[in-house]
Amino acid sequence: MLSSASAISIFRRDMLLGTLLRIVMLAAATACMAMNFLPTARSTDGTLLLLGVGMLWLALSYRSVKSQRLAAESTSLIATGQLEEAERQIEEALGSFSLFRATKMLTLHHLALLRHAQKRWQDAADLSRVLLKQRLGTIQSLARPNRLLLADSLLELNDVHGAYLALADLYRERLSLGEATNLLLIQLDYESRLGSWETMLPRGAAYKRVQLTELMPAASSARAQAFLALAAKKSGRDDWADWLRARAELLADPLTLMKDRPVLSELWPAKT
Amino acid sequence: MDAPPPPVSEPTFLDPHELIENSQPAPRTGGLWYVVGGFFFVVMISAYAGNQSPELQTAVRLLGGVTMIGLLMAMSVFTWITVGRQREEQRRLESLEELVQLRRWPEAAMMLQELLSKPTRSPQARVQGLVYLTVVLARYHRYADTITVQEHLLDNIDMDPGTQYALQLGRAMSMLQQDHLVDANQAIRDLHRVENSGESAGLALIEIYRDVKTGHPGEAIEMFDSKLALLRKQLGHRVADAWALVAKAYDMVGREESARQAYMNATLLAPIAEISRKYSEVASLTGKYQPAIAPAE
Repeated sequence: MLSSASAISIFRRDMLLGTLLRIVMLAAATACMAMNFLPTARSTDGTLLLLGVGMLWLALSYRSVKSQRLAAESTSLIATGQLEEAERQIEEALGSFSLFRATKMLTLHHLALLRHAQKRWQDAADLSRVLLKQRLGTIQSLARPNRLLLADSLLELNDVHGAYLALADLYRERLSLGEATNLLLIQLDYESRLGSWETMLPRGAAYKRVQLTELMPAASSARAQAFLALAAKKSGRDDWADWLRARAELLADPLTLMKDRPVLSELWPAKT
Repeated sequence: MDAPPPPVSEPTFLDPHELIENSQPAPRTGGLWYVVGGFFFVVMISAYAGNQSPELQTAVRLLGGVTMIGLLMAMSVFTWITVGRQREEQRRLESLEELVQLRRWPEAAMMLQELLSKPTRSPQARVQGLVYLTVVLARYHRYADTITVQEHLLDNIDMDPGTQYALQLGRAMSMLQQDHLVDANQAIRDLHRVENSGESAGLALIEIYRDVKTGHPGEAIEMFDSKLALLRKQLGHRVADAWALVAKAYDMVGREESARQAYMNATLLAPIAEISRKYSEVASLTGKYQPAIAPAE
């Protein structure tokens, strides 16, 4: 299994190599064009040389696309729990050359996703941090899911302040529905650690939050509603607490919920 | 006296045949190949003219260089415009997905009508749009139209196994809703032949519905009991459908206490109006059993 340090080192090396190669090829192309305008370079046909540079660019682009496909396939493998196969594909994609920065950054993002799925929180956080320091350019939309991934990993590592810093920027951005549901779950986890019970289930806007949890996958929805039930209990809203707890029980086993988040044990005292 | 104008047929909203036909992506114009051809043409002319008349070599190369710069700029502009349009289409598909998830059906229907009424930019976008169309049509109980789109996709498009399986599940459900029980049974048998179909909550839900619909409540209860963990894990809040159907099954066999509890569980997770709209068989339980009441805001 590729360590995060090795992956980051390969990523940095390839990014540098890719940038150098792009500069060299651009300089070569410019030189080829210039040959047609310089009277001193009459013996060489710049257009013909430019054709050679173009062919080389096409060949390298083809390799990059292959590497991009490998990395892209890994997301569905992670989603379906085929983590070993995803690991193999990502390693292959990371090891193969790519002319484009975006391909390498996507591959690193997929590796972070894989480490998160494997519950290797420190690795996931390290990889996400490296990615967030890059200039994302055309794949700027990657920043938001990456921030969410970093915040979640840091919460798992009990780094509440780090999670806050990762989340802070997200409130200024327009999120997709999927990102908004992810953010809600992480935010509830974060707020429960701070004991902000009233904020977790705001009066007058509680249903809005509950409706958002209904769009989550079963396990996430159960955890989110259990957090909301706990917030209701702590705020003295017993009707809400009972209703939300019963819903959470229908979506996941309370023992699993309590094992993952011991704070939820207060909801099921008889089972602890 | 002028003849009366021929009757104009009212355009159908979300007509599946029309949308399937009109959304076919336009054939590629091959702009890239024109540029590549132009590139080679310039190279050949430049080399030929240089060999034929050394005096003209400088002028030909200058012209070749300028033409090459022009071609590169044209290609950049063309790529920029194409990528921009594709991104816009992708954004619309993402919005559509969100509208479907949020159950904002009228807006989703309007957007689908607009998206699929003209050629899409890519075949993938068309398939994605048509998949959403099946969901919206089913929501409006237009099951025959839903099956038309599902069969078009299954027969003509090479899809990944997961999407194909989901479409097959949707088609089987639409057949049940249409009371095409023989076809639905055949579709369920076909689904069982797919690898790992025993691990599919979607298939279990369809079988529970079939058993309730065809008056086999015992089998429905048995299926529900054996697959509850799977249903819960894979369906999320949609497990309410399974609870409602099993409530109906319990009611059919006279196990009222179990029916009451199952009905309570179903209505804890979803409003009964939403469940009854999907499964008319469940509507008869309204009034007989007490639904779960959500607390006041």
